[in-house]
Amino acid sequence: MYGEGLLKGLRVTLKHFFGKHVTQYYPEERPQLPERFHGLLDFIPEKCIACGLCQSACPNRVITLKTEKGGEDGKKKILTEYGMDFRYCMFCGLCIEACPKDALIFTQEFELATYHPEDACRVLYRKQVE
Amino acid sequence: MPRTQELHLNMGPQHPSTHGVYRCVLTLDGETVTSAENHIGYLHRGIEKIAESKTYPQFLPYTDRMDYLCPMVYNQGYVETIEIMMGVEVPVRAEYIRVIMAELSRITSHLVMVATMAIDLSSSTGWMYCLREREKILDLIEMVCGSRLTVSYMRIGGVSEDLPDEFIPGLRKFIGELPAYLDEVHELLTGNEIFQARTKGIGILPPDMAIAYGVTGPNLRASGVAYDVRRAQPYSVYDHFNFEIPVRFNGDSLDRYLLRFDEIEQSLRIIEQALDGLPEGEIKGKVPKLIKVQPGEVYHQVESSKGAVGFFVVSDGSNKPYRLHIRGPSFVNIGVFPELARGWKIQDIISILASIDPVLGEIDR
Amino acid sequence: MELLENLFTNIAGWTRTLLSGWSVSYSMIELVILFLGIIAILGLIVLDALILVWLERKVVGFMQERPGPNRLGPAGFFQTIADTLKLLGKEDVVPRAADRWVFRLAAPMVFIPAIMLYAVIPFGKNMVPINLEVGLFYCFSIASLGTMSFLMAGWGSNNKYSLLGGMRTVAQMISYEIPLLLSVLGVVMIVGSLNMSEIVAAQQKVWFVLIQPVAFLIYFVAATAELNRGPFDLPEGEQELVAGVYTEFSGMRWALFFLAEYTNMIATAAIAVTLFFGGWHGPWLPSWMWFFLKVYVLVFMFMLVKWTFPRIRVDHLMHFGWKFLIPLSLANLLLTGVGIQIYRVMGG
Repeated sequence: MYGEGLLKGLRVTLKHFFGKHVTQYYPEERPQLPERFHGLLDFIPEKCIACGLCQSACPNRVITLKTEKGGEDGKKKILTEYGMDFRYCMFCGLCIEACPKDALIFTQEFELATYHPEDACRVLYRKQVE
Repeated sequence: MPRTQELHLNMGPQHPSTHGVYRCVLTLDGETVTSAENHIGYLHRGIEKIAESKTYPQFLPYTDRMDYLCPMVYNQGYVETIEIMMGVEVPVRAEYIRVIMAELSRITSHLVMVATMAIDLSSSTGWMYCLREREKILDLIEMVCGSRLTVSYMRIGGVSEDLPDEFIPGLRKFIGELPAYLDEVHELLTGNEIFQARTKGIGILPPDMAIAYGVTGPNLRASGVAYDVRRAQPYSVYDHFNFEIPVRFNGDSLDRYLLRFDEIEQSLRIIEQALDGLPEGEIKGKVPKLIKVQPGEVYHQVESSKGAVGFFVVSDGSNKPYRLHIRGPSFVNIGVFPELARGWKIQDIISILASIDPVLGEIDR
Repeated sequence: MELLENLFTNIAGWTRTLLSGWSVSYSMIELVILFLGIIAILGLIVLDALILVWLERKVVGFMQERPGPNRLGPAGFFQTIADTLKLLGKEDVVPRAADRWVFRLAAPMVFIPAIMLYAVIPFGKNMVPINLEVGLFYCFSIASLGTMSFLMAGWGSNNKYSLLGGMRTVAQMISYEIPLLLSVLGVVMIVGSLNMSEIVAAQQKVWFVLIQPVAFLIYFVAATAELNRGPFDLPEGEQELVAGVYTEFSGMRWALFFLAEYTNMIATAAIAVTLFFGGWHGPWLPSWMWFFLKVYVLVFMFMLVKWTFPRIRVDHLMHFGWKFLIPLSLANLLLTGVGIQIYRVMGG
């Protein structure tokens, strides 16, 4: 019959008109993120040995590392400041893979918008001067 | 004596249905197109030049930003090229996982093609239904590698992380449900007389013209030439699997559209076989910490959803490539568009462009 | 029910007694009642257009498994008001090279015929604003004035996209007016009059959609084409011509086009209800409530058709109109004529 395809299409849309919505009502309903989600990076300073492997693994030069010589023999590297410029970060995870001590992890935070671009440049650790 | 004048119309870089920032200058006689010219380069980001200043592992996230709709295949092509140059052996489990993810990416890309074809012909309901299916796949991919679109999942020598426990049951459930949803899309769009009138017999690509222009992928197979890189030059573990190369013979827009559905079916077959035969084992092969490639050059091709993606790497012995060139299939496919567009109406060229399915990320790089 | 039924006639009667109590002359009273009627209808049109914008977005959303507007107001009802306020605040851009007067007059010229259509529609029992003997003829002649304003919009914008859109629109609207008229002639033949109230009165026993189903289908398709909606929305052609005829219009001018489209849609649906679905006849509820219920069911059908089908190509549209719909409507007329004669001969 001429026009059969048209009627089938109407039937599909009519069926969905009375069906359920698949929308996730965002600010009220939070998304269920998997545990491997690439959210904001977090830094655990106690584990860091200031090797700089994360800095050389990053494609975009996001990580800035400041160290000083210290410790008992004066030759060990001690971390004084660890900063990441999230304006350029791709959240690719190469830094996390490069770290031998698992000092960098992904969190599940994804609402990262700021009013000023400079606020996206974060210092994740700064050593307290005694 | 009155003459008609030809109109130059600019389908500019900002247009609702040019698949990205693509510009086409049309010369019209009334409503009929007498000539079309491609103008590209609006999305050029200099990726090939950037590659010369990044180490081999650092370049990997850039590969999924070229064809952002089918990123796993680009990852696969790049890491396989480097593995061939270095002579690295990849464990079998990693190869199987790579195949599963690449086929999932292929399905998402074809779903986007069907969705954009629907909305370019102004059926926004069809677009919503296809993207709803794509969301499920993107959730599965996010479960594995944490990102939906720019995945950076594969590494030189294997993949970055193993599959989580909830992935395989989720994937099996999805494979069971997808054919029913595709039938719904067929009922809404394919059988529709208006849709058929807009796509049947439009933009016929003869097979000899397709081969002469270097068209690959579904556009070539819809014209009757059964060429698929997975069969012609098998890579990874594709020779372990039993699948067919879908071919259609009319070469019009409707065939290119229907072929995508055939390919989705074949991809589902491959995924099922891969899931059934997934071996245990390592997921990363033996690769030195600092990756240096000996001098030489390699060109390796893989099959993405748009056609044959080629990676050409020239190395001078250091840890950064000397030259990296990527053969983007859409760049070659769009070259045949001015030939196809001649003689049709404006509305037809929208349908032809949608059925060729260009992605500007890989045209401009 | 009685009170609700005669609500508007009671208001008119009450105003008459009030004014004659103040010793106003008879003609002045009639003039005041006329003005009140016009204001009421204008208020109805604006309210309807606002409701319809919201309704369309909700209906589309539900068809696409999403909720549509749902933040502002209950079920997103105030979204239209927010959009209107935003559009009122926009700058009125007239392109420098555009034909000023043609450009400026285009938007109101679309709106005016749409409003004029409401003058002869029977909204309920004894609720026709003006009871014209040639009501149906008036409707279609006013509706065809809308064609010119699209050409004005297309030409006045001085833009190739708009010109293409304008020319397509004129071709489309002229082609589909013919089947539109031919399809309703069957109804006119059965009733024997062009008066809208008489057509409604003749459907007391049976609705004309059951006697003339083919005519209703042709009317539906041709009306969709006349309204530039649904599979026939080439003038707007968003995916092909950016915004087609409407490219250069912004702010309130653009909104006027869309309000005009919705106003036209309600008017067309109202005419269809009058001609085919028994007008305001219906048990138990007040007559004007039945009328609006039927109009909204038809509007829902228009929306369903628009959002399911892809757009049709220009030359297919012309083929369909001239080579399929016109012969079909002529055949319908032939069969109707034969049927009427047989009915008369059999002593009906």
